[in-house]
Amino acid sequence: MSLEKVIFGFFVLLAATLNFGFFIGDISNAALHNEYELFAAVVVNLIATVLKFGDRTQIGAVHLATSLVADLQLIAATLTWVYATQISSAGMTPEATASVVSLSGGALLANLVSVALLVIETTTFQRR
Amino acid sequence: MRPPTKRPAPRGRFQRHTAIARPAEGGSPTVFLVLRRMRAPLIVLILIFAISVFGLTLIPGQDADGNPVRMGFFDAFYFMSYTATTIGYGEIPHPFTGAQRLWVTLTIYLTVIGWAYAIGSLLATLRDRAFREALALRRFSGTIKRMREPFLLVVGYGQTGQLLGHALDALGRRMVVVDRSPEHIDTLDIDPYYSDIPGLVADARNPHTLGVAGLEHPLCEGVVALTDNDEVNLVVAMTAALVRPGLPVIARTVSPAIEHRMRAFGSPTVVNPFDRYGDHLRLALHEPSAYLMLSWLVRGEGAEMPELGRPPATGRWVVCGYGRFGHKLTDDLRADGLEVTVIDPHPHPDAKPGFTIIEGDASEPSVLAEADLPGAVGFVAGTDNDATNLSLVAAARKANPSLFIGARQNRPANAPLFAAMEIDWLLVPSEMAAREIYARLSTPMLWRFLQEMPGLGDDWAADTLERMRAYCGAKLGALWKMTLSAKDAPAAQPWLISGVVVGDLLRSPRDRDQRLDAVPLMLMRDGETVLGPGDDVRLQVGDELLIVGRPYSRRALIDTVTNRVVAEYVLSGREVPAGWIWQRVTGKIPTEVEGTDSPVRSSDDP
Repeated sequence: MSLEKVIFGFFVLLAATLNFGFFIGDISNAALHNEYELFAAVVVNLIATVLKFGDRTQIGAVHLATSLVADLQLIAATLTWVYATQISSAGMTPEATASVVSLSGGALLANLVSVALLVIETTTFQRR
Repeated sequence: MRPPTKRPAPRGRFQRHTAIARPAEGGSPTVFLVLRRMRAPLIVLILIFAISVFGLTLIPGQDADGNPVRMGFFDAFYFMSYTATTIGYGEIPHPFTGAQRLWVTLTIYLTVIGWAYAIGSLLATLRDRAFREALALRRFSGTIKRMREPFLLVVGYGQTGQLLGHALDALGRRMVVVDRSPEHIDTLDIDPYYSDIPGLVADARNPHTLGVAGLEHPLCEGVVALTDNDEVNLVVAMTAALVRPGLPVIARTVSPAIEHRMRAFGSPTVVNPFDRYGDHLRLALHEPSAYLMLSWLVRGEGAEMPELGRPPATGRWVVCGYGRFGHKLTDDLRADGLEVTVIDPHPHPDAKPGFTIIEGDASEPSVLAEADLPGAVGFVAGTDNDATNLSLVAAARKANPSLFIGARQNRPANAPLFAAMEIDWLLVPSEMAAREIYARLSTPMLWRFLQEMPGLGDDWAADTLERMRAYCGAKLGALWKMTLSAKDAPAAQPWLISGVVVGDLLRSPRDRDQRLDAVPLMLMRDGETVLGPGDDVRLQVGDELLIVGRPYSRRALIDTVTNRVVAEYVLSGREVPAGWIWQRVTGKIPTEVEGTDSPVRSSDDP
């Protein structure tokens, strides 16, 4: 068992679970989507991305690509959230909440692909 | 009935093409190397930011009216961003409470450390040796891939390589250089060259190195192995023969054993400067003018005619040092029937009549006296130590001032000392190898000319030298090959078919009564050569001429063989207009090849 693999798997999985936790619930109800959870999801996703830097294998490249997609979606969600709370006069309307949550839903899809890759990698290469 | 079993076709041993795998190639651009190294600092930075922002949102603050209020994520991120980067806009949206200030103080130190670590790591990675080597190798292999001109792969860029490199660069030839020493590769940037010569610091014994340097490139026209290590040269010659069978290889060596091993792979050209010294000495002994011409022609365009020093004399020669060089020289001298006395510290059993070996250290006066210098005509200091050679020359001069002195200079740095000694016949192995390889590479016909020229005798050489000097002056003119084929000399075809002599071809396009400043050195027809063709030699289609002359003569000759109007004037004296209309109006039409579809040689002789 290698510590590197543990840390890698931990962050990839944590990124997906945090993302899922934020995403689940009525899409337009702001009370069901905690901003702290979104913050944690962004941070963990960024860390997972950096962990995937510099892997030369083909599966490593796809890993990095999925993480970049998740980052992009989550940052877009964060920016929408910032717009709704700070700039827009209407505040967190159900529409704004829905777009934040749906963007994070896209990120969740990318994170699920990432987890799937992790599982495939684990089952394919036992000794690496 | 069973069909006859087919035998497998015999494998062409030297036809197959072996590819050299390049593990360093493909896939990973250098940016991934940077990313991999930046993993830890980036994660630290992200964590520090996340903790700081998270902390700020948790710690309660106060608004202007004293109501408790918490900082939002956006404000906290904004505040941390400008604080961490040491910009600092102050406390927003409300002045901080004591608890918030305590937390911010902590995060300021944390973030500064995080940034310093990240930026420091990035700079260290960029300055890292491995990273820069990876970058340099990448740039080098990219340059090689983009080569669109034929190039020579030169392995070893020491003294010999640099001499050869400058001479070939002046001719406009492209090169790629591989050397183990970074100083030698640095000279490519420091010294003036016309073209940009890519250089790689690497060990040529590794086949991958030669692969990266373009051995498999379709435009690689030859490999020159010039390192000071015979073993490396052997490996290079071997690699080239195995990977690119048939590719011309020139390798330098001073060891007959290595030479033998090199010849086991394909047919490389092996240059042995020790061997040449004796050959040249013999040539100078018999044909001083031929030797003078040889040494002038191999110096390259623009070289001053070398001084003809004192010619070596026949009689008894004394050779100090009986190593590889001494052996070669002694063999050459004895092949000429000269009496040789060898002085060497090690015992050698092969003394024969006319060949005595004195065992002992030549620097001892008693040993040198034994060699009876006053009764000798020549003295060669041929040990592998420059200081010994210089002192031997001085001692020999004292014993017999009229001796013909030869010496071997081993280290380039000692050149001024040997020049000050005014040695009659100096061997500088690096120069000798460079000149010979230059003669072989610059114009392939030149080497053939130099090989066959001594056979014509000294008078012929003296006569040709005189003509060269009359036409080109004291500096060597350009040397070039002219092919009189239908492709390269279209305008001259009608006259080549009907018969034209060398003298007519060399008339000036400006005034055909004047002769161009050019001397034809050799005529080659179907592999047969005519040396120094006279003006009355008839030329045929497909002939090749080796010509030395001034550069403008070369341009004029190219004009003559490619421009029909010029050819008409130069070769027949008839002036025709250049334009089609005027040709039709005046009725003066340039001579055409009869029966245009098949240029059959007409029976022109009357």
